Amino acid sequence: MTETFKYYFEDFEPGHMTEVKGPTLTKEEIVEFASRFDPQPFHVDEERAKSSIYHGIIASGWHTVSLCMRMICDAYLLDSASMGSSGVDQVRWLIPVRPGDSISLRMTVLETKASRTRPEMGIVRHRWDVFNQNQELVMEMTGIGLYRRRDPAPRGPAG
Amino acid sequence: MSFKYHWEDFTPGWTYESPGRTLAKEEIVAFAREHDPQRYHTDELAALSSPFGGLIASGWQTGTVAMRLMCDGYLNASSCIGSPGFEEVRFLLPVRPGDTLRYRATVLEARPSSSKPDRGTVKWRWEVLNQSDEIVMSMTGVQFFLRRPD
Repeated sequence: MTETFKYYFEDFEPGHMTEVKGPTLTKEEIVEFASRFDPQPFHVDEERAKSSIYHGIIASGWHTVSLCMRMICDAYLLDSASMGSSGVDQVRWLIPVRPGDSISLRMTVLETKASRTRPEMGIVRHRWDVFNQNQELVMEMTGIGLYRRRDPAPRGPAG
Repeated sequence: MSFKYHWEDFTPGWTYESPGRTLAKEEIVAFAREHDPQRYHTDELAALSSPFGGLIASGWQTGTVAMRLMCDGYLNASSCIGSPGFEEVRFLLPVRPGDTLRYRATVLEARPSSSKPDRGTVKWRWEVLNQSDEIVMSMTGVQFFLRRPD
């Protein structure tokens, strides 16, 4: 039996947007993530963070990326026929994320195209914007999602 | 605060290669459950019938492994004051349980800040290699570093 999903390649149309609310970050979560993965002083050491250019603890950019990925999963990816990703074009950290910030995600479909080599797959270019509770854009990311097609493309005359 | 590395130390061609870091299956599943719970990252059985034929690590876990190796290797001994982001992230090969990853950094270019004389930017190529010396992930990124005090 073939598993079915809510979203296939055909369901991602250019201009389509999805929004989802994310978590409110505590200082403890910020420090805990950074202690494991990115222990720079302005992420883990309150005193040194105070005297840094950020004037206080800020979340690791990788933490924001990881939270973004989780919001992507919760918003649509776990319900989709995802075949992974070949890459991300760019990640921009625009404003620091601080303890107490509540973040949210807006995904926009930028473009879609059929795979030239794999008729069962389609390629979606996404833009993912992460906002804080003041609707300020804290991070923007663009990249590729690969999805199975609901209806595989017909083979060309050459087979 | 004195640092081992300042902006001046990261001249084009400067490279660093880290020791190996082996990723256990349990770590792959634990990271993914929290941050990227797609089934080919969290469910060993479901992963078998996925396009990857078995459990693979979230690409962002590979990124955080690189970030930690970077911190331990030189970044926490440096005057780094942050990063505006990174680009051209390529997930080239799946990372599987038991893989031993290494991180390699190469300075592509370094420029003094035109507006702030106490700092400069460094553009890097960051790569993650596995135990077979295959590049599993690559990206370019920018970081800001304070200049060495006179």
